[in-house]
Amino acid sequence: MPRHPPRAKETLITISLTAPAAAAASPEAGRRREPRSSARRRPDRSQTRIGYIFVSGYTVLLLAFGILPTLYAVYLSFTKDGSFAGVDNFVKVFGDYRFLPAVAHVAVYLVFYLASLLVFVVLLALLVHGLGRRWLSTSYRFVFYIPGALAGASSVMLWLFLLDPTVSPVAFILRGFGFDNFVQTVSVDNLPIIFTVIAFWTGAGGWIVIMYGALNNISGDVLEAARIDGAGPVKTAIHIQIPLMRKWISYMAVMSLAAGTQLFVEPRVLSQASKGVVPPDYSINQLAYLYAFRQGDFNGSAAISLLLLLVAGALSAIFVFRGGLFERD
Amino acid sequence: MASQHRRSRLVPRIIALATGIAAVAALTACSGGGGDAGNSQYGFDAAAQDAKAPITVWVDSSREPIANAFKAANPDITVNVETYDGNSGGSDSFKTKVALFDQSGSGWPDVVFSTQQNDTSWASKSNNGGQPFAAVLNKGLLSDDFLTGFTKGANDPMTVDGNVYGVRNDLAPVVYWYNDTLMKQFGYDVPKTWEDYQALSDKVAAEHPGYILGSVGDSFQGPYIYYWGAQAPIFQVDGDTFTSNFSDPNAEKATKLIDHMLANKTLVNDSVFGADFVQKYSDKVLGMPGPAWYSGALFQNKDSLNAPAGSWGAADPLSWSGSDKVTGAVGGGVWYGSSHSTNLAAVAKFLEFVTSSDDAVKLASGLPAYQSAADTWLTEQASSGYYVGDFKSAITTAASSVWNGWGYPSFSAETAYASIIVPGISAGKTQADLVPQLQKEYDNQAQVQGYTVK
Amino acid sequence: MSATSIDARAGRRARVAISPSRWVSRALVTVVLIFFVLFFVVPIVWLVLAPTKTPRQLLLDGPFSFGAFDTLASNWNELMQFQNGIVWTWIGNSVLYTGVALVVTLLVTIPAGYALALTEFRLRKALLVITLIVMLIPSTALVLPIFLEMSAIKLVGNPLAVILPFSFFPFGVYLTYIYFSTSISKDLLDAARIDGAGEWRVFARVAMPLATPVIALVGFFNLVGNWNNYFLPFVMAPGRKSPIQVGLAELLSNVPLFNPTSGASITISLPVLALATLVSVGPVLVIFLFSQRFLVTGMTAGGTKE
Repeated sequence: MPRHPPRAKETLITISLTAPAAAAASPEAGRRREPRSSARRRPDRSQTRIGYIFVSGYTVLLLAFGILPTLYAVYLSFTKDGSFAGVDNFVKVFGDYRFLPAVAHVAVYLVFYLASLLVFVVLLALLVHGLGRRWLSTSYRFVFYIPGALAGASSVMLWLFLLDPTVSPVAFILRGFGFDNFVQTVSVDNLPIIFTVIAFWTGAGGWIVIMYGALNNISGDVLEAARIDGAGPVKTAIHIQIPLMRKWISYMAVMSLAAGTQLFVEPRVLSQASKGVVPPDYSINQLAYLYAFRQGDFNGSAAISLLLLLVAGALSAIFVFRGGLFERD
Repeated sequence: MASQHRRSRLVPRIIALATGIAAVAALTACSGGGGDAGNSQYGFDAAAQDAKAPITVWVDSSREPIANAFKAANPDITVNVETYDGNSGGSDSFKTKVALFDQSGSGWPDVVFSTQQNDTSWASKSNNGGQPFAAVLNKGLLSDDFLTGFTKGANDPMTVDGNVYGVRNDLAPVVYWYNDTLMKQFGYDVPKTWEDYQALSDKVAAEHPGYILGSVGDSFQGPYIYYWGAQAPIFQVDGDTFTSNFSDPNAEKATKLIDHMLANKTLVNDSVFGADFVQKYSDKVLGMPGPAWYSGALFQNKDSLNAPAGSWGAADPLSWSGSDKVTGAVGGGVWYGSSHSTNLAAVAKFLEFVTSSDDAVKLASGLPAYQSAADTWLTEQASSGYYVGDFKSAITTAASSVWNGWGYPSFSAETAYASIIVPGISAGKTQADLVPQLQKEYDNQAQVQGYTVK
Repeated sequence: MSATSIDARAGRRARVAISPSRWVSRALVTVVLIFFVLFFVVPIVWLVLAPTKTPRQLLLDGPFSFGAFDTLASNWNELMQFQNGIVWTWIGNSVLYTGVALVVTLLVTIPAGYALALTEFRLRKALLVITLIVMLIPSTALVLPIFLEMSAIKLVGNPLAVILPFSFFPFGVYLTYIYFSTSISKDLLDAARIDGAGEWRVFARVAMPLATPVIALVGFFNLVGNWNNYFLPFVMAPGRKSPIQVGLAELLSNVPLFNPTSGASITISLPVLALATLVSVGPVLVIFLFSQRFLVTGMTAGGTKE
């Protein structure tokens, strides 16, 4: 924590990368200050009023697009055509022959994706952090970050080109793996890796920047002490830097886990582009979409969405309450 | 303190008010779309009509020329032509897009072209309480005179309980296309049966390796050309029951045929529309069973095989020796009109134009479904001398011998084929290995769609 | 690694200490970094150069070759004339949805963060916790439930059905909360209050002038996230109301490579599709390039490297 009152610009920076930790700081800071001023200030009416007014817009949106949809999804998933249906919708969804394969697909993808993030993001952050020259390190980080501008359908479109051996600039790599045409490249067995590559390409840059900031927060004294003790770069990384980054690493893991379960854009665009070779029911979210639009079964769709929402919500709640967000360093 | 309590109740009040306003807005929006008193001169609840309203037409890229021709021929009607994938490969994009519009209550296109024939199964029904998308065509919109002009049976897949929901664009019976020049050059006879075809493949593999007799790389070829043409009961619907039987003798024979020819490399796994196919095989195709529209799509297409005149011909379709002379059919797209359209007069004009006008004949890439247009097209093809042999007779024979045992459930045979067989063959497996999985997938999809699987 | 840089600054000692093993490890580091640079950069370079080539050049020439400006112009025309300029409609939709949502977001989020940080009211803690939890839930998880809700009140297809969910930005509220609670002390506010300022004036005169960085940050994340959002507009804004990201995927049905059909009079060739992809991310890419300073460079300070 910075010891002097932070100026605006540094605060900005501090927010972006230490947001989780700072959450700990502020309630405590606030509490620390209160005893001093509580004698002077009581929760006064105009403050309360302005507080409510200021949060009203956001609260309406929170209700309309956070709480109510969740409640409505709960309602839909437990009813059928308006009348209570118990767990019928869930039974139908679980028994659907496409459900377990979709879960398996997403699970395998998550394993690859998380592994690649945990290994390569941390590695690249460490390497870039260790570069002597400031401009070099900035350039590297900028280069890694740029693909993030193409999130969503655009990056999949770009990768369509890259994955087709007949047009790809890296066709030699594809042919090296034995893929001579697009159909072979996007065969179902390769999809977890393909989706991992696309997601990593788009998302790693942002995480590298955050990890880099986290590394910056490690006090130079600690590193100096390690160097004096004779630790080389690898030892320092393993025993000092990575353990001190673990809050941010777990933040990255939880966010990516939650985002990965929602896989939709990539398999959908690939399914369209491959004319069905990538199945239209590859991921769980695609299945929910099919239920709603191809089968007209809104209740089943709500059941699947609810499951996904619960998984994301549980991960999020666990991290908020136990992930070190409210712990002191 | 009292005022503080009052204020803290302000927030929930504001929320309630906001929700109330939203609800009222929604209701008023709702009633706007309800339409006037049911306009039943067409046999269904039409919206208020406006003779000057623009119409939106969805076509696939192959049908874009005819839509533009209509535009040119009718400058007084505003036509917005939009292209989409045409529902090809059973992608269901027609159904999912209409479902989205059903949800928003507006924005439907006025005319839609679909390459599949099974859309009537959902377009004629109400989805989630809305009005069925497809307009009934034979109860006032199109004249009986016009409708009887279609080739017999062409509009059957779109007829439910006496209501016709769509008009057929073309018929696509499978014939046997052969490269006359090459066949004569190598001294081969045109095969008449599947057995002949297989025997020919052995000869070609031995004497002229590199020359091919067909492709199974597109998801429509396997099911519609080979299995349907082999009279294999792998996709059958009876009311609400679905059956798929790959162990039937005909099905097994077809599977063996495909495997045999894949093994001797006379059957390839490249899509006939891919740039690959043209590059590799453009002058190596000895012949192939295929639908009538291969004429415009492959042979007379400068971006595809671009065959010189007089080199190709069409022969009677292949069948098993000693069995019924039946053949398959690959599509024959359908034009649908929207029941939500505000300019049904223009819609009717459009439908008549694209199926029966001179432009329709001129731009046809296959056998038109409208009888008079079909006759003209066949005569023109014959008289132009582009094809050798008796082109007209082959096509007409094929058109009247399409096996009527094939089913039109609410899902396509192509989706499962595309995700299981095409990549499986690409990975080196055999057709025989893969068909149990395919049968299971057909059964599963039928079940999900609500059919009883036998 | 930091030890090395401290060493380098130490001067003479560093020069003597470069041993073969250091060389090898330095080379290894460079190789790994270069590999990843290529991984991240080659696709972007290819994408930027592709629209300048003809389809043949795209297939045969190297990925880093430049075509011709003429080709770029003709590809541009082809794209913009496709289906009577529907690409402009899509872009216009994106601008509308993202732009209006940006304004609404800022109007709603900044005051909310301020209130959570610097005022007291009964639901404050609860709201904060709920915001935290919802913030970590990916937006895709809520798309279908929101869709089902919107379809129940028949708002699907209305631009508001896209704009309002876009304006719901708990992450922005949280950022603002952190920012205000660390950069403004309550004493400062109290001083203003004692001077007779009402709450509105306190907010306007004390907090707002300091809020520029957080407004920029919230605005940036909101804009980028909404512009690239696919799933929500995909179900909420069909047809001509689609934003450019959704429209881009529709273009696929006209690209012969991915949707081969016959006799098409208007097809989209690959360079044109690449141009469309570039156009769809154009604004965000430009914003990234210009905010490079405060995003990437700025995120280094605030630590101990004085």
